[in-house]
Amino acid sequence: MNVIEVENLVKKYKSVTAVDDISFVVEEGSIFGMLGPNGAGKTTTIECVIGLKQRDGGRVRVLGHDPKAHFKKLYDRIGVQLQETAYQDRIRVWEICELFSSMYEDPLDYKMLLERFDLADKKRSYMSQLSGGQRQKIAIVLALIPNPEVVFLDELTTGLDPKSRREMWACVKQLKNEGRTVFLTTHYMEEASALCDKICIIDEGRIVALGSVDDVVDLAGIDYVISFETDGDITQMIKDSIKGVSSVVREGKRLKVYSNREDVLTDLVIFLKDKGIYYRKIDIKRPGLEEAFLKLTGKAWEVEEL
Amino acid sequence: MNRLWKITAVEWKLINREFITLFFALIFPVLMLLLFGTIYGNRPSEIMGGYGTVDVSTPGYTNMIIAVTGLMSFPLTLAQYREKKILRRFMVTPVKPVEILLSQFFVNILMTVLGLVVLIALGKVVFDLHFYGNVLEAIVAFIVILLGIFSIGLFIGGLSKNMKMCTTIAYIVYFPMLFLSGATIPIEIMPQSIINISKVLPMSYGVSLLKGIWLGGHLSDHVKEIVILLSIAVVSGGFAVKFFKWE
Repeated sequence: MNVIEVENLVKKYKSVTAVDDISFVVEEGSIFGMLGPNGAGKTTTIECVIGLKQRDGGRVRVLGHDPKAHFKKLYDRIGVQLQETAYQDRIRVWEICELFSSMYEDPLDYKMLLERFDLADKKRSYMSQLSGGQRQKIAIVLALIPNPEVVFLDELTTGLDPKSRREMWACVKQLKNEGRTVFLTTHYMEEASALCDKICIIDEGRIVALGSVDDVVDLAGIDYVISFETDGDITQMIKDSIKGVSSVVREGKRLKVYSNREDVLTDLVIFLKDKGIYYRKIDIKRPGLEEAFLKLTGKAWEVEEL
Repeated sequence: MNRLWKITAVEWKLINREFITLFFALIFPVLMLLLFGTIYGNRPSEIMGGYGTVDVSTPGYTNMIIAVTGLMSFPLTLAQYREKKILRRFMVTPVKPVEILLSQFFVNILMTVLGLVVLIALGKVVFDLHFYGNVLEAIVAFIVILLGIFSIGLFIGGLSKNMKMCTTIAYIVYFPMLFLSGATIPIEIMPQSIINISKVLPMSYGVSLLKGIWLGGHLSDHVKEIVILLSIAVVSGGFAVKFFKWE
């Protein structure tokens, strides 16, 4: 079942089209990630989907409702973490939790949520005393208070240190294990790879690629890179003898073989053995989302140095 | 209703942590009363039209409290909630944003009433404060002034682009109202030029209305003030509601 359906979404700011004809669906119980550089239209998309911004065109359904028309009814069933939300000055953790609990019909017990996120001892702290990571955890706690079917996370980990970021990832995975659907935006490719069942790469308001992480990498058609050290110059020999090699580059003693076939490795090793060529420090680099992203958006595409 | 009540309860806690609001709503008016009360006493004096200085000043100080809550605390909180995107966060909950405005309105009114209670209690104990009017009429007058002044606050808080702009406008509106309308310094001792200026300040009508009732007058004697304050409430409040910036 599709929990979120977006068809031909368009959002304009004066003359600038921030979101340009975007369509995707999010399946129940999955983690869907929208990935793109800053200013790509991620936040605008998420805000149109939750009804915080009026769309200029297209159709949006969240749990079967148009977020525009069924305005308040929907918010009992979704949890939201917005980018850059601050909190009231001088409010304590338990007070903001009480405040949010009072808004929903059937809220989860926030004390249990605080415990789960390791924040039970911060209950009486002022929000302003918390670290960035702790504040983001509170943002998730507040998003979970309605016991939501869908959770929206806008740039949850931006600005956090690597340790906090990984803690956040564990939290997000747990949401999925509880059967909730997660829609998140990020500009960290590692994050998208680690968390998402399905990703949508967006650039300048348009979808560049949509699918599982593997699908997107395949779609980009980027070569595997096998590299090793050897003494003689066998560049031409490899090109002539092994099928499916797109190029061979020699950098000092190190040879790099590019190919879109993963099993070119087998052929290469057999070839080297047959010819009695001695090799050291062999390494294969599988293309990842980072390479795919750069290639698909056509921006600053460079083969990553090993 | 239960929800609005709980939001208001939390906001009431928060306003009680705002030192500036507490000082100017609860302490400053009392200090003024002590200062002028000690200097002039509360015996009937000619310059005050035969009434005691404290008796004449108290309705003015009441307006002073309304100015702090209505023109400073109320709009600044609204601008802050907008700038910090707190209002936006509330917009993706089942709460209507209007409930947030209402809770802010309630806690500031509560603060005003608390300030008034402290002021009257001290005036009574220290200076034997007199009230010559009708309590019900005074309450009506108080509400009319609240509506007029808070609608200006809603306008400032609702339409300012950011907190900086809101603070600037609030100060520009607040200080002349505070000192030139008769709220702090009785209008009776002002030169004619200041009295003329005071006529364009909405608060001067609040001062004149409440002082009139306080000293034994009736609402029917102050139709002009009531009409002006209610007109401000309708026009300013109407504009604020129509053009309120949620983000």
